[in-house]
Amino acid sequence: MIFRGLKVLELGAGAAGPVATKYLAEHGARVIRVESSKRPDFLRVLFLGKDSPHGLEGSPMYALLNPNKESVSLNLQTPRGVELVKRLVAEWADVVCENFAPGVMAKFGLEYDSLRGLKPDLVMASGCLFGQTGPQRRYPGFGGQGSAIAGFNHLTGWPDREPHGPYGTITDSLSPRYVALALAAALLHRRRTGEGSHIDLSQIEAGVYSLSELVVRYSANGECPERAGNRHERLAPHGVYPCRGADRWIAIGVESDEQWRALCEAMGCEAWDRFADPDDTDARVAAWTAEHEALALSERLQALGVPAGPVQSFAELLEDPQLAHRGHWVRLPHPVLGDLAFERCGVRLSDAPGVLEKPAPLLGEHNTAVLGDLLGLDAEAIARLEADEVAT
Amino acid sequence: MLSGHRVLDLCDESGALAGKLLAELGADVIRIEPPGGDRASRRGPYLHDQPGPERSLAWLALQTSKRGVTLDLEQPQGASLFRRLAAGADVVLETARRGALEAIGLGSDALRAEHPRLVWCSITPFGRTGPRADWLAGDLVVVAMGGNLGVTGDPDRPPVRCSMPTAYYHAAPEAALGVAMALLAREDSGRGQGVDVSLQECQLQTLLSGAGQFARSGRAPGRAGGRLGRTREIWAAADGWVTFGLRGGAARIPNLVATVAYMDECGLAPDWLRDYDWAQFNHNELSDPEIARFEQAFGAFFRTRSMRELYEQALARRILLAPCNDAREIVEHPQLRERKLFVTLEYPELGASIEHPDFFARIEPRPARVRGRAPRIGEHNAEVYAELGIGADALEALAGEGVV
Repeated sequence: MIFRGLKVLELGAGAAGPVATKYLAEHGARVIRVESSKRPDFLRVLFLGKDSPHGLEGSPMYALLNPNKESVSLNLQTPRGVELVKRLVAEWADVVCENFAPGVMAKFGLEYDSLRGLKPDLVMASGCLFGQTGPQRRYPGFGGQGSAIAGFNHLTGWPDREPHGPYGTITDSLSPRYVALALAAALLHRRRTGEGSHIDLSQIEAGVYSLSELVVRYSANGECPERAGNRHERLAPHGVYPCRGADRWIAIGVESDEQWRALCEAMGCEAWDRFADPDDTDARVAAWTAEHEALALSERLQALGVPAGPVQSFAELLEDPQLAHRGHWVRLPHPVLGDLAFERCGVRLSDAPGVLEKPAPLLGEHNTAVLGDLLGLDAEAIARLEADEVAT
Repeated sequence: MLSGHRVLDLCDESGALAGKLLAELGADVIRIEPPGGDRASRRGPYLHDQPGPERSLAWLALQTSKRGVTLDLEQPQGASLFRRLAAGADVVLETARRGALEAIGLGSDALRAEHPRLVWCSITPFGRTGPRADWLAGDLVVVAMGGNLGVTGDPDRPPVRCSMPTAYYHAAPEAALGVAMALLAREDSGRGQGVDVSLQECQLQTLLSGAGQFARSGRAPGRAGGRLGRTREIWAAADGWVTFGLRGGAARIPNLVATVAYMDECGLAPDWLRDYDWAQFNHNELSDPEIARFEQAFGAFFRTRSMRELYEQALARRILLAPCNDAREIVEHPQLRERKLFVTLEYPELGASIEHPDFFARIEPRPARVRGRAPRIGEHNAEVYAELGIGADALEALAGEGVV
């Protein structure tokens, strides 16, 4: 695998940082998360009630986003904890990836300029909401705010109603892949030149960069595109239409006259001017789809060359034959949560496809492997660190 | 950081951003389009609403930093020129349907056999093999089949998408990542490899493990409008909308306390809320009436204030609240401007200066950045084909035959 032998130290929490290193872990890197029960990753407690039986080990979301990784528990509020992180950088890591708020790493003395002194060719990524500079950099934020500020909420929903996010927090799903790309490019650069890098990435800027077309349209024409339901500026019919059954839908996006004629043939009617009255076009298509089953109709339309597909529920994703063919779902037993359906990324390399082989780590599960094997501490020293609440 | 690598970019709109990313990381990306221009990618809206392929704002936005040549791959001579370009390239990036490039003798297997160092990246809706490899899908169908659509929107209306193609935005960086990984592997092996990107699979990541959580719990979210789970996420301000989460956890409770203090200073905090014991707050355990009571109190307050005022107070008080920005508000955002996110590119022949988002990360010591405007039709034909030993006369002859 491509990153076999690569050593990655990860600090931070949530989705945006950990998902970035998941790409590396899936492709062979050894990723060690530095965590502490004193200030746990909020994903370890998100969605859990007070009486959840497994405490910090009981969060499926944390588990699912962190496969193939290891965990060392080090309390960064203690000087010895920080010192051990510095030793891991100096003696072990190729890459440091962190997504704390700006200034947090500096408070610990772990900012890039300090770490580079320990490891001149270090590749380090710092990915937070707004980036490391600027007047609002310390604004504490999560993906919910990132999605709103970057413009995705405004663009999602019906023109006559409040905006929605796209489900999830989109800067949390967008930005990690940008972090992983920047890291891979920096590693290629290091491989060719021996030079390290620091990557200061803003999750919001990754969102705005994705929406380059939006910015250019505003700057060039003064236009502020609005949310438009499922209506498309150039394509019709382009919508989500009801099918037989409760909450069953088909998405159809016709891109050409040829596809339109094929759809009309399937509907058993003459083609009409589909752009003249888009509401009427949608109503006529919807009246027809409502008589059909979503998947069967999608298969039939695809056979005729019409882009169409069922709106898939989470249950259907787990049974999707194409995803199964891709090996998207990887079932691994988690020691506390049992059998979990982990997910591979969207890329398959022909000679070196990624592999998921270990569930997410328990907090501090690899203290002996990391503090003992990598840093040479003996069992007694590790026990003392634990008793002193340094390794906790 | 990718300087010294050449990429041949055959992508339609679904992959345009992938080539842009590689170009802005330093690669020499050559966008190949048919003679006369790629009409699908050079689509409207147009600059100042005057139609013309070189005035396409989507093209100007998504093809920055690339060079551009024209080439008719359907003609044998064009296909032959592509093979010669491939000999000097490191990467081919394409979004063709299965079999389309093979039919003109430019399939990845053949080209990779000819040029073993070549990295070949295919971006397709569902991946290059499998039962749905031949299915057609644009953004809407991918978002539907990737699971995000069904849980976005209101319960009383059909599922609804983002009006910009988020499926493409998620796949592009994964494709560029796959290319960078394959180039890294080639440093040791000397061999390129295939990079097979599925838009659908990339789209699943927007659920942040939601389907995997469902596999364990059997509980799936429904469409909940402006809510996230049970609690409201989108709130009306006096002049627009803001996002604010009624969620707890150590990282969030201080912001709820700060919000109530702000309301109290404005004389708009109900007594019960002012006296609330936040130490006991766990949003997972709130009853429906409790949620309704919170939402009534916060919602009534937010409606009395503008988006800007709420955001300014949020910044000052560390409240987790943000405006649902439109394009103007994004471009005017003081933090983004202070970070110099926007770069102005000149289009003298169009009489325009246009702002673009620059690269999304500050990288030292080798910065990535927007390196130039999108190419005009055939802008770099002369210099690129000259490298193949094709001089001005020969190029003119090719143009006469409609090859370039």
